[in-house]
Amino acid sequence: MIRRHFLALALSTTLLAGGFAPAAQAQMAPSVDQPVTITFYNYNLASAGLGREATLDLIARFEAANPNIKVEPIAAPSNEVLSRVQADMVAGIEVDVAQLVFRDLIYAAEQLGAQPLEDMAGEELAAHAAGFVPNGLALGEVDGKTYGLAYVFSTPVMFINGDLFRAAGLDPATPPRTWDEVKAAGIAIAEKTGKHGFFPGAYGPIDGTFVYQSIVMSNGGGKVRDGNTLTFADKDQADAVAMLRDLMDSGAHARIDVGAHMDTFASGNLGMFLFTSAVLSRFETAAKDNFELGMAPMPSFGDKPTAPTNSGSAIFTFSEDPVKQRASWELMKFLTSDEAYSVITSQIGYLPLRPSTVEDPRYLKDWMAANPKFQANIDQLDRLTPNVAFPGPNYRQVENMMKEAVTEAVFGNGDPREVLKTAQDLAQPLMPQD
Amino acid sequence: MTNRASAGRIAAHVVMIGLSFLAIFPVYWMIQTSFRAENEIFSGGLFPAVPTLKNYTDVLAAMPMLRILGNTVVMAGATTLAQVATGLLAAWALVRWRFPGGALARSLIALSWLVPFQVVMIPNYVLASKLGLLDTVTGLVIPNAAAAFSVLVLYNAMRGFPREVIEAARMDGAGNFRILAEVVLPNLSAPLASVSILCFISAWNDYFWPLLLIRRMENSVVQIGLQFFMTQEGNDWGPLMAAATLASLPILALYLVLQRQVVDSFMKSGIR
Repeated sequence: MIRRHFLALALSTTLLAGGFAPAAQAQMAPSVDQPVTITFYNYNLASAGLGREATLDLIARFEAANPNIKVEPIAAPSNEVLSRVQADMVAGIEVDVAQLVFRDLIYAAEQLGAQPLEDMAGEELAAHAAGFVPNGLALGEVDGKTYGLAYVFSTPVMFINGDLFRAAGLDPATPPRTWDEVKAAGIAIAEKTGKHGFFPGAYGPIDGTFVYQSIVMSNGGGKVRDGNTLTFADKDQADAVAMLRDLMDSGAHARIDVGAHMDTFASGNLGMFLFTSAVLSRFETAAKDNFELGMAPMPSFGDKPTAPTNSGSAIFTFSEDPVKQRASWELMKFLTSDEAYSVITSQIGYLPLRPSTVEDPRYLKDWMAANPKFQANIDQLDRLTPNVAFPGPNYRQVENMMKEAVTEAVFGNGDPREVLKTAQDLAQPLMPQD
Repeated sequence: MTNRASAGRIAAHVVMIGLSFLAIFPVYWMIQTSFRAENEIFSGGLFPAVPTLKNYTDVLAAMPMLRILGNTVVMAGATTLAQVATGLLAAWALVRWRFPGGALARSLIALSWLVPFQVVMIPNYVLASKLGLLDTVTGLVIPNAAAAFSVLVLYNAMRGFPREVIEAARMDGAGNFRILAEVVLPNLSAPLASVSILCFISAWNDYFWPLLLIRRMENSVVQIGLQFFMTQEGNDWGPLMAAATLASLPILALYLVLQRQVVDSFMKSGIR
């Protein structure tokens, strides 16, 4: 992990020292009349399984529908794809479309030269976005312009081990809806089964901080930053973390390695697990013949509405050539179309950016009928709240300091509010100055 | 033998058996997990309930594993040959001739050992891109063709070689290359074996440079291949363990053949 950060730092320094700046805006070509090849940097292709197969399927469908456009897929693991994009830019290799995680949003827009889609595609963007979920475009916005189109993304859902619920005298058909109920259920599971009660995938090491941000923003709407001022230690935000600490102190929250959460749940040793729905198919396989798997919406703070944020990634274009811009835009449109989301949702388990697909018999209606668990995730789309990325060249360091402080606040012995305040004071100088 | 000495030997053996168990058990767990069904991965038994080869067939279907292993053998072998060759010639030059700046050159080589590869990785990548070496095994080897470790180990080995023997060969009319090849080299088999083994293992385990340079799975190496089963949505433990088992076989074979030299090289050169 340290070596990965070192690589990212070296690349960032190279880009900044080289005076790398967003390219001047070119006029996108109206159509692609000659054969053209565009590169597509993608992390789903870097691993075996459903994500890779679905992505290859999507590329094949796109090429069949657009015979003049050839897509050259370039696979890189999710933690490395930004480094690969940066390295290729430094080497003078054209990067056309890239799938980047949401934490890289501002960096991609301000430092890497991602194209603002309003400027590049004009009215086509608004026409294409008709039918997106509320806030759909906002997921990829920076300062009022859209740089990334939400692509494969999800929201936190609560996975339930029905067997552990029953063994603890609980009903898995009525899973906890509030954090108070999670605490009671977690204590019951821990005390009566000897297994772990509850764990949120909020402390890393993968998939950013979307679970943590969902919990924080569900407690009154406060975010982890306000402009360039860090606010993750403000009252509501700190109270949310203090709630997790209370769960830990009560025994409801598992004290396990933060990187072992998925395996702990998959092995049947965890009653409730708050994480991305993208792992549903993996858990279904693990649960088969072993335990009953359930899924519920994320819990709320009493009557306050939840604010599920987006995990996953958006797609960006860096093309400067007008024809390649058109080809890239056509690919981006296809990857966020009804047809693509019927593949992405049914084969990988991510949310559809276009909710009408779940009612449409041509797309996901039959699949939804066969997979009723997924409804818990769909129900959260109305309250989808954009994940907050950090600005400036130190954005990953700031995010890591916040994440480590949250982990220390929940797993450590100190006052959680003090731990967060100390980390916030240390991280603030790394933020851009107003 | 006294009872006390006998008890000491038994205690020592108990400790060694325990340490051996700790060393072998993860390997055993890797192999037995590779034969488990997907929904049995997390069960705690010592043996798979219903052993299956599915993980191996999945690995071979998902990626060209044999080609990847071949790439890795070629890459690690070529890197080893290059590092030993450049190390040998550099060490010979530093030992054989006294010249102004020789000590400085030796110090700079030693200092270069302290520079992490990540520091020079991006310039190397840009250069490899301009030379058309992206996505090639050649591109993996060239930036690692010279290693300070190899130069310094061989320099120290050659420095202890009797100068009188070299002078005698010279008086018999042998040239510098012939002295190196026919007089010095035959007496350096132990350090050469040490350097070769450590260079091979180091190249075999290289991750970051292949990750950056290689763009297609068929041109990849095993360390990147293993990453293929570690996904954003969790690890595919069955195929991952099957791939790890397959990836371990060449190194295991090398170890079985060169067991004594491997142990000696670690003892003499320090564990890297």
